[in-house]
Amino acid sequence: MKMAKQEYDSSVQAGEPVGVIAAQSLGEPGTQMVLRTFHMVGAAATAIATSGLPRIIELLDAKKVPSSPIMRVYLKESYAKSFAKADEIANKISEIKMGSVMRRAVENFSKGKILIILNAQSMQAMDLTARQVAARLGKELGVEARVGEHGNIIVSTHTKNLKEVRAITVKATRSIVNGIEGAGRAMVTQAKDGEFYIESAGSNIEPVMQVEGVDASRIYTNDLFATYRVFGIEAARNTLVLELKKTLEDQDISVNDRHISLIADAMTADGTIQSIGRHGLVGRKESVFAKAAFEETVKHLINAAAFGQIDYMRGVTENILVGKQIPLGTGSVKLTIKRKEGKKK
Amino acid sequence: MARKITEKCYVHLNGRAIGYVADPIAYVGEVRNARRKGIFSGEINVAYMEKLNEVHINTDRGRVRKPYIIVEGGKSKLTKEIAEKMEKKEVDFGYLIRNGIVEFLDAEEEENALVAMTEADITDRSTHLEVDPVSIFGITVNTAPFPEMNSAPRHLMFASYIKQAQGLYATNFNLRFESRAFILFYPQVPMVTTTAYETLKLGKHAAGQNFVVATSTYYGYNMQDAVVLNKAAVDRGLARSMFYKTYADEERRYPGGQKDMVKVPPATTEGYLGEHAYSKLSDDGVIEPEMGVIEGDVLIGKVAPPRFLEESIGAGGLEEKTRDDSVVLKPGENGVVDDVIFTESPGATRTVKVRVRSLRVPEAGDKFGSRHGQKGVVALVVPHEDMPFTEQGVVPDLMFNPHSIPARMTFGHLLETLGAKASAMKGTRSDGTAFSEKGTERIDDYSKILEAHGFNGYGDEVLYDGITGKPFKSKIFQGIVYYNRLHHMVSNKMQVRSRGTVQILTHQPTEGKARLGGLRFGEMERDVLVAYGASLLLKERMLDQSDKATVLICKECGSIGYRDYAKRVEVCPLCNSNKLAEVEISYAFKLLLDEIKSLHIRPQVGMEE
Repeated sequence: MKMAKQEYDSSVQAGEPVGVIAAQSLGEPGTQMVLRTFHMVGAAATAIATSGLPRIIELLDAKKVPSSPIMRVYLKESYAKSFAKADEIANKISEIKMGSVMRRAVENFSKGKILIILNAQSMQAMDLTARQVAARLGKELGVEARVGEHGNIIVSTHTKNLKEVRAITVKATRSIVNGIEGAGRAMVTQAKDGEFYIESAGSNIEPVMQVEGVDASRIYTNDLFATYRVFGIEAARNTLVLELKKTLEDQDISVNDRHISLIADAMTADGTIQSIGRHGLVGRKESVFAKAAFEETVKHLINAAAFGQIDYMRGVTENILVGKQIPLGTGSVKLTIKRKEGKKK
Repeated sequence: MARKITEKCYVHLNGRAIGYVADPIAYVGEVRNARRKGIFSGEINVAYMEKLNEVHINTDRGRVRKPYIIVEGGKSKLTKEIAEKMEKKEVDFGYLIRNGIVEFLDAEEEENALVAMTEADITDRSTHLEVDPVSIFGITVNTAPFPEMNSAPRHLMFASYIKQAQGLYATNFNLRFESRAFILFYPQVPMVTTTAYETLKLGKHAAGQNFVVATSTYYGYNMQDAVVLNKAAVDRGLARSMFYKTYADEERRYPGGQKDMVKVPPATTEGYLGEHAYSKLSDDGVIEPEMGVIEGDVLIGKVAPPRFLEESIGAGGLEEKTRDDSVVLKPGENGVVDDVIFTESPGATRTVKVRVRSLRVPEAGDKFGSRHGQKGVVALVVPHEDMPFTEQGVVPDLMFNPHSIPARMTFGHLLETLGAKASAMKGTRSDGTAFSEKGTERIDDYSKILEAHGFNGYGDEVLYDGITGKPFKSKIFQGIVYYNRLHHMVSNKMQVRSRGTVQILTHQPTEGKARLGGLRFGEMERDVLVAYGASLLLKERMLDQSDKATVLICKECGSIGYRDYAKRVEVCPLCNSNKLAEVEISYAFKLLLDEIKSLHIRPQVGMEE
């Protein structure tokens, strides 16, 4: 009974404009963020990550791909305890492009061959052998690639067409030679409890989950839509909350969790991720006037005219526009029994 | 990355490559020597840009240049002998330039120089010596005392405040017709001046007064950059000033031979303001000097021809129609007419100028600033008996909140407080020029002077609360600070409205002081009421006190109708129905419906009882 009362007391009153309060609670600290953009010191993956206001805008706009994706890959118990084993998995994931290990490519058009001269230094730094690179390159391009003299790679193209050879050269220099496409540079990090996990400056969770030793159930990415695709809308909602919270906390801004959850709930309520803006939440408003008051006034009015829409005046914006009491707060209650007409004094 | 010096080094003259040299450093040195010897003009500058491996020679206009004493072989070229000659005025500054003792460097050549601050700082690598260390500051900053003790942003702020200070801007202000002018009644020379201040003879046009300042709070009335003033000091003329404003008008000529006339407008004039408004005008249509004026009074009576030609021809009357175009004192303004002049402008049109003066006694809301970027707005003018006082009976003119100091790091303000107090006791002005040779020892000097006069050496004094008569628990740092009265004064800015003018298009209240407007209750303010759920308050703001309109809406077709007063019926122009309902809506919504109609969309309004 006491608990029931407590629950009742702590719940929001009917008619409380929680959305406006959430928007204000998030918007006010947002004005401070424009002026100060500082970056923190730390792991390479997080130091360059988009943070502050740009990141918040990105989240609320529900951008399909984050501008700086990050992935945290946790490992199965047998792998998580040893750095060597974790590092092995990290090497499988870590994305390396040809461009970062080669010096230059020399084309021999008459033979239809391409000689790729590797940068021994960076090869060593990335723990790669020419054989590995050649094998992967051959697979990616579907051509024959072998290791030649001085550890260089020779690609045989089976064509002597100048255009085609050049096209393959360009492809080869852009090709990945190790890891998973889009996964970015992966590095092993140790959590406080001693567990090793992999942090990566890129995100492509679907193939990463297939890698042997990866604990697929615990993989984390800041890519909303990837989370949505793989784990569903609830997980995407949680990612949204976590990312918003983290971004605000990084700027030493404290916003009550309830406001953030409300925004995340509103964005994911229909089972898909909706942005806040004319393509998302506002665009789905019922009222013609509310939509017209926000953006693209004429478009909304003409559409409404074409379909003979009726504005039932149930929202806030449209009621302020005509000068009626808003259906919120003190305006949310109405008399059930009306005073009888007649009897004029 | 710097290219190797062995590569060709291009020489640019005024930004255009003219050739290349093998050894740029030697080449630059050669050009420089030639300039110092007078072979080249002293106005050219040459620099070797190491990162670009280019030599830049500039002779064009628009470069900011600064003089430096040349140092060669670790020795200043300005020797004692020459300095003595300078002092005896046997040689002048031009001599120093002609003889390669002083030269001007521009921004690019400065990059090649290593400048020693003082003669003692000269090393083997030094190329130049500052003429005086104070020259790292600008002229304005150097007129403030102890600038080296303040943080740089405060210098910038001081530099902008001093432009707003009221003072004696010109001694012939009585003859001038400035559109706006401020004259301080009793300008004073600051107790602590600087070399720059004396050199510029700013004391002859002082723009401030020495205030006795207690660095203390006062019952919360000087929080957040507010200051408290002493009523007795204000009554004795502290920071009192006069505000002059000139109103002008001319007799314009129009195509068609018509022209304006300065005269008392006849009652038949269109837009006649009423007999009362013109009562202060003399026969020539212009107000007389020393006449007191308040808002709404006409200063210059003027009639103009009608705006459109037809109006003057129409009506058939013999008398030419005219329109009132008088100069009226704006709302909230008042004063006394100071002077009136008639002149003729180049187009041979007669111009009338009326200068109105108005007394500005410091009051709550006026702005003050010290010479350390410390500004404050008067929050309270305290009666003399309620002000704190010292044992000797000294009562501060101004109470300055000590919280203004730590975050802003304006230690010069504190040093001025102390230094000016010591100077006042000694009876001489003192010097606060930056980088004084004495450095921090100045504090000790001031302490000695103060102690010799029976004060605490650090400027602290026991103050008694004027209200309770009890001493404050802590000693209070009290001294003298030179304050400027800035030209932002409430009496020129305050504005109030309850009911008033509305815009024609929207029926919403006007905006701005000149139009008797209100303060906008904007989108964010609206959101606050929405968030609070105050629906009726919101409606009052957005409708009742804004653009409420009562319109008739047809119950049958939902379009806006009208009331036919002649037939005493309500009519819907679309369906000819006579069943209409009176509805209160915002005029903005009515306007929106009209605009939607202009899009060829027919909006219909449905209603519930």
